[in-house]
Amino acid sequence: MGFFTPWFLAGAVGVCLPIWLHLLKKHKTTPLPFSSLMFFERRIQSSIKHRRLRYLVLLALRTALVLLIVLAFAHPYLRQAAAPASRTGEVTVLAVDNSLSMRAGNRLDQAKQMARRMVAGLRPGQRAQVLAFGARVQAMSEVTGDRAPLNAGIDAIEASDARTSFAELARSLRSIAQSIQLPLDVHLYSDMQQTGMPANFNDLRLNAAVRLEPHPLETNETPNFAVENVVAPRRVYDNRKSRVLATIAGFGNPKATRSVSLVLNHRVLETKTAEVPENGRATVEFLSLEVPYGKNRGEVRIDSADALAADDVFYFSVERADPRHALFVHEAGNSRALLYFNAALEASGQSAFEMDPATPDQTANLSPAKYAFVVLSDVGAIPAAFEDQLRQYVRGGGSVLISLGHMSVARARVPVTEDRIQETLYAGREGERFQTAVWLDRSHPSILKDDRWDDVKFYQAIRVLPGNARVAARLSDQTPLLMDHQVGEGHILVFASTFDTVANDFPLHASFVPFIQQTARYLGRLDDRPPSVLVASFEELRGSKEKGSAVEVVDPKGGRVLSLEEATEAQNIQFTSAGFYEIHRPNRADDLVAVNADRRESDLTPAPAETLALWRNTAQGSSEGGAAAAAEQKPLSLWWYVMLVVLALAVAESLLGNKHLSVDKEAA
Amino acid sequence: MLQRFLDPSTLASISGLDLVAKTVVDGFVAGLHRSPDFGFSQEFAEYRAYSQGDDLRHVDWNVFARTEKAFLKRYRGETNTQLLVLLDTSASMAYGSHSVAKLDYARFVAASLCYMANVQRDAAGLIVFDEDVSNYVAPSTRQGQLFRLLHAIEKAEPGTRTDFAKPFAHFQNFLHRRGIVVVLSDFYERPDVIVKTIEPLRYRGNDVILFHLLDPQEIQPKFREPVLLVDMENAADALEISPEYTRDEYPRKIDSHIEALSSAARGAGMEYFLMNTARPLDEGLREYLAVRKGRL
Repeated sequence: MGFFTPWFLAGAVGVCLPIWLHLLKKHKTTPLPFSSLMFFERRIQSSIKHRRLRYLVLLALRTALVLLIVLAFAHPYLRQAAAPASRTGEVTVLAVDNSLSMRAGNRLDQAKQMARRMVAGLRPGQRAQVLAFGARVQAMSEVTGDRAPLNAGIDAIEASDARTSFAELARSLRSIAQSIQLPLDVHLYSDMQQTGMPANFNDLRLNAAVRLEPHPLETNETPNFAVENVVAPRRVYDNRKSRVLATIAGFGNPKATRSVSLVLNHRVLETKTAEVPENGRATVEFLSLEVPYGKNRGEVRIDSADALAADDVFYFSVERADPRHALFVHEAGNSRALLYFNAALEASGQSAFEMDPATPDQTANLSPAKYAFVVLSDVGAIPAAFEDQLRQYVRGGGSVLISLGHMSVARARVPVTEDRIQETLYAGREGERFQTAVWLDRSHPSILKDDRWDDVKFYQAIRVLPGNARVAARLSDQTPLLMDHQVGEGHILVFASTFDTVANDFPLHASFVPFIQQTARYLGRLDDRPPSVLVASFEELRGSKEKGSAVEVVDPKGGRVLSLEEATEAQNIQFTSAGFYEIHRPNRADDLVAVNADRRESDLTPAPAETLALWRNTAQGSSEGGAAAAAEQKPLSLWWYVMLVVLALAVAESLLGNKHLSVDKEAA
Repeated sequence: MLQRFLDPSTLASISGLDLVAKTVVDGFVAGLHRSPDFGFSQEFAEYRAYSQGDDLRHVDWNVFARTEKAFLKRYRGETNTQLLVLLDTSASMAYGSHSVAKLDYARFVAASLCYMANVQRDAAGLIVFDEDVSNYVAPSTRQGQLFRLLHAIEKAEPGTRTDFAKPFAHFQNFLHRRGIVVVLSDFYERPDVIVKTIEPLRYRGNDVILFHLLDPQEIQPKFREPVLLVDMENAADALEISPEYTRDEYPRKIDSHIEALSSAARGAGMEYFLMNTARPLDEGLREYLAVRKGRL
């Protein structure tokens, strides 16, 4: 027997309290008047004995109660022998790590060799299964007693670019143990990377039926260098040279110098040297990225000469395209809004859109279909034919941004949406000098999460009934400021003020630039995917309208990822290897996706032995002596039993105490 | 049904002592309705042939006119007597383990006896005493005597300790006429001393009735725990008593005291009656009437 928290035993001194109450505190008798003591004599010895005896039972109960409460807090346990017979029908599971880090040196071969030795040592008829795990767990064989399929499964394990996830392995083991209803004897062959451990240790929890035996590989502490991250533009719209920033990380390394190369379409553009500090990071800046038209394959490479070569290159894709045209319709006498809108779009240096200005009269001969989106900036009357075309354009997937001002009020209805304009609010006339945007829907694509419009002053706003539209911003009097109508496949965004500095001072504030850029990206349907993604991330292959059309995906090795059936039905794809994936969609929107392995794999530091021991302890089937132990000693907590006895004693003490109390009262 | 009004607890809830006495006596008399032996009104009893020497005032002249023979007409209750109630108000009489203390019970009995005597036109008197005579109402049949008696009974408060010798020696001087003497006390004294003190009253031709008033807790104490008892007549005297003693020894002692007092009283020609204050009052009245009847 032992105690989990033995320090609580010090509370046993509390037993002095009932002893003091019973033995040291003098008993007081209340005097009772009686008519005459003529027939009484002083004979009290027997009664005192009787009283002491009765109180001694109560004292014993109270002392035992205090001691048992102390015992319960000390959390006692018994080492209980678990019968080995309970693990009959045990299935041996050989889990081999095939994550990126196993590419270092001959780690994977070493693991496979150890697994083969385990298969050779299996008893005749003993059933086993081979698993390979990285970010996901893959069954390499069925549960079988035949050694041939087990060895074949081990041979078929190949190194992947996935990251290690011990949590995923634990989840799979729990699931397997639950489905086959048999105890598992799990042998884990891995480099036991620290980075593979989950943030929450509870995710490693194993069932009572699982016994875990980790087999860490014999690895030498060797330094590893990796290209940890690359910051590069996703799209380029002119022929100017772009900037690329690469971060080189060293793990377990002394201070070293590494040469870093920027490669575009297999051609080295520039090479620089980086001073990597001890266990630190260095950044290298390239300003020579000149991108030709089309989709281009970019890489940053280092000459690490370390055991893990897979993390010495970082892929990114960059596309050169001409800016797309967008139509900006404004009244002939008011071009200030166009000025501010253009300035905001070009503020980033690389504008994806080029605004084509037009007055309402000029729109009669224009087709909105050739524009990425259309802006109606406080326009009055527009040709009915153009308005009809706009409605069709939106239903087909186009987008329109409408700003409302005094010209719009004359029409009494919002163009295209035909929503009724209720009134025009002039802040200055109603006592308040201006209004502010007090509420923003930060989940809307037009509004950045950390955007602040608090200091923008709105002097004039048009109140429109929002109807079914999503309201993304409101003024201080709850007037909807930004409304998003979903019409067919497209969107109509209504801004209840103007983009000039007459109705508000929004264009003069810093928040105007991100709002216009985000809105342009949203309306122009520019994807905001980064230039590279991680292995195991997903990509959507088709929209809701594209059912049945074939999508072709080519992996970094040039092979087709999808079968013919999958090509017509698959909604998305998960990237499993590092490199460039080509995605050919039926609407000719081809894509080049750069995929990189998770750089947490580059840190080859193994998990401490204590962590592994703790993990083994979560598997209640594990034993200190290994599989050969005849009987296992497991702690059996006695807490509940002690508390039950405490409860029973408390009830007995209450009853006896009440009895004494009632007797005392009666005597009084 | 009316017996309920004789219950001490019920009487304790009645405020006026005159009302208590009236309730007790009327209830008691109504309970005796069919009994021919205990009537006390002046009703016809018998005719007896005249013999020489008889008082001519008692001759029934109507019968003589019809029959020319002289007969004497006799009535019951035509003889008056004197009742003297001796009420002990020592401190021990204030004891009571339930709603009625011994002194209250004694008051009820005394008031009832006085009321009954008044109804029968007997001369009733009262002596209140503890270790000395604290109040004296001389026996009389005058108008308002009952209220004087009831007032004196009402006024009686617990005093100090009991001392029979001094008050009895004193009030022997008051007794000039023979009658019935009722002593209401808890008699916490040696039986021989009590009898020796009261006996002289008997010599003077009085009928003496000792009403021994005891609380049920005094007859059979019920203590489940050791208790510290303080003597009500002497606060300095206190004893821690075990429940075993009160269960075994004490009842034996009190029983032997009652037995000794009873036999000593009867030996001296006195009536002794033990009154448990938890029991109805009618038993005491019955005892009184039995003694009075003997005097007629």
